[in-house]
Amino acid sequence: MLELIFFNITNGLIVGAFYALMAIGLSLILNLSGVINFAHGGFLVIGGYLAYVLTPYIGFWGALIVSPFLTAIIGVAVEWLLIRRLYGRDPLYSLLLTFGLAFIIEDGTRQIWGANGLPVSVPPALMSALSSRFFFITGYRMFMVATVAIVVVLLFVLLRHTRVGVRIRAGTLDLETVAALGINVRALRSFNFAVGIFLAGLAGVLAGGQLGLEPTMGDGLLMPSFIAIIVGGVGSLTGTLVGGLLIGVAAGLTAVVFPSASDAVMYVIMAIVLLVRPRGLFGEEGMLT
Amino acid sequence: MSAALSAEGLHTYYGKSHILHGVSLEAGEGLVTALLGRNGAGKTTTLRSLVGLTPPRQGRVTIFGKDTTRWPAFNIAALGVGYVPEGRRIFPNLTVHENLMVPLERPGRWTPESVYRLFPRLAERKLSRGRQLSGGEQEMLSIARALLLNPKLLILDEPSQGLAPLITREVFRIVAQMRTDGISVLLVEQNVRMSLEIADQAYVLDDGHVVYSGSARELAADEARVQSLAGASAEEWTLQ
Repeated sequence: MLELIFFNITNGLIVGAFYALMAIGLSLILNLSGVINFAHGGFLVIGGYLAYVLTPYIGFWGALIVSPFLTAIIGVAVEWLLIRRLYGRDPLYSLLLTFGLAFIIEDGTRQIWGANGLPVSVPPALMSALSSRFFFITGYRMFMVATVAIVVVLLFVLLRHTRVGVRIRAGTLDLETVAALGINVRALRSFNFAVGIFLAGLAGVLAGGQLGLEPTMGDGLLMPSFIAIIVGGVGSLTGTLVGGLLIGVAAGLTAVVFPSASDAVMYVIMAIVLLVRPRGLFGEEGMLT
Repeated sequence: MSAALSAEGLHTYYGKSHILHGVSLEAGEGLVTALLGRNGAGKTTTLRSLVGLTPPRQGRVTIFGKDTTRWPAFNIAALGVGYVPEGRRIFPNLTVHENLMVPLERPGRWTPESVYRLFPRLAERKLSRGRQLSGGEQEMLSIARALLLNPKLLILDEPSQGLAPLITREVFRIVAQMRTDGISVLLVEQNVRMSLEIADQAYVLDDGHVVYSGSARELAADEARVQSLAGASAEEWTLQ
């Protein structure tokens, strides 16, 4: 029984780490540009498939670094060509645009690589279990969680200690004043978009190594990521991180006692949080503090 | 006299409402120019038109010899135009120190160290968040932030708004000091008497029209006019 609970907590943490990675990227873009990026799952898929294409040439480690960067470049191109034109308008426009983009990416992937699952080959060293009792804790799972943790820490350092990060945080509340202080806010938005998409691309590579690739693999992550943002409090990245891990672990634990409710539990958590603390767990601190 | 900034025939709208009706003005190089007028006369809108935040629909803005009428705000600021907006617009979620990391770094004498020397109070409150500051501290931070651009032209929108008389005097003293440092200043103010004391040139706006343009001294001598501009809240205190 202990193993079972531990197994599900571990699972929940891993799933939660993915929710958090996706949700933080979504949150960055939403806070600075006011765009609800429904294509975020699509960029995850692009990151995963790029890794599949690149791995034979540069290996898993090379792909782990290169594909998120390439995904971010594709993301900036999309932002520059399409999304940027809708800034400042009703959010509904960009929502519709990114919703359409999500379908285009999914079908494009299916067209190029087929609907069947594809594997991303992971170095054998990462695949072995750490012990026979806790067989489910493979090196790769530890590695995924560690990678997410490192990237999130780096992101927080960027936002707190670099000029560009501080400008992003300033811009979430008052982009006009940031512009009046001489900052190219178009470039700032593009950079911020790139960071968000980088995180989605990275999630794609990591998920591909664990579960393999499918054109629809981003779909299941999008809704939990939005819920993670709402539970954590819109505007708070710390909240988003905690929200993602919380709903991941909650779903994992529910799977022990009541497996069929494990998908529903995150909606229950969201409802409770919204009733008790409508601004979310970390919502009071204000945007990106 | 060459002009750091000149505006010709600005017509600016907020949506459908027509706010500025052909405003023309000049801010002379190395001078303090005061832009006065009652609430709702269009002073803030004029400044927003000049710095590119609410571009005029008609007319022309020239800053340091460049036609900036259609430039985005960040390009205008990068020319060396520091802007202290109405209500200060401090970033409430950032610390004092972080607020000072936002502006573009143009090389010059103003660095975080030198603005902390100008405003020792800000150095003491380095790690406080913007929302925790008093009105006076916020005003100092807003001015410090604009100075970090190392502006050649400083545009201030009602820096004394809501400040205690002692702090207002301090703010005016610093604005007057900018002039000695060779920075051109365009100042919008409710505090008519104090503004006219430090200003060289003055403009009076009424209902989106320029109704006076000329020397600040002449306007200050016209007691009836000053009285009507300053309104019921006529400030008795002056710089001395």
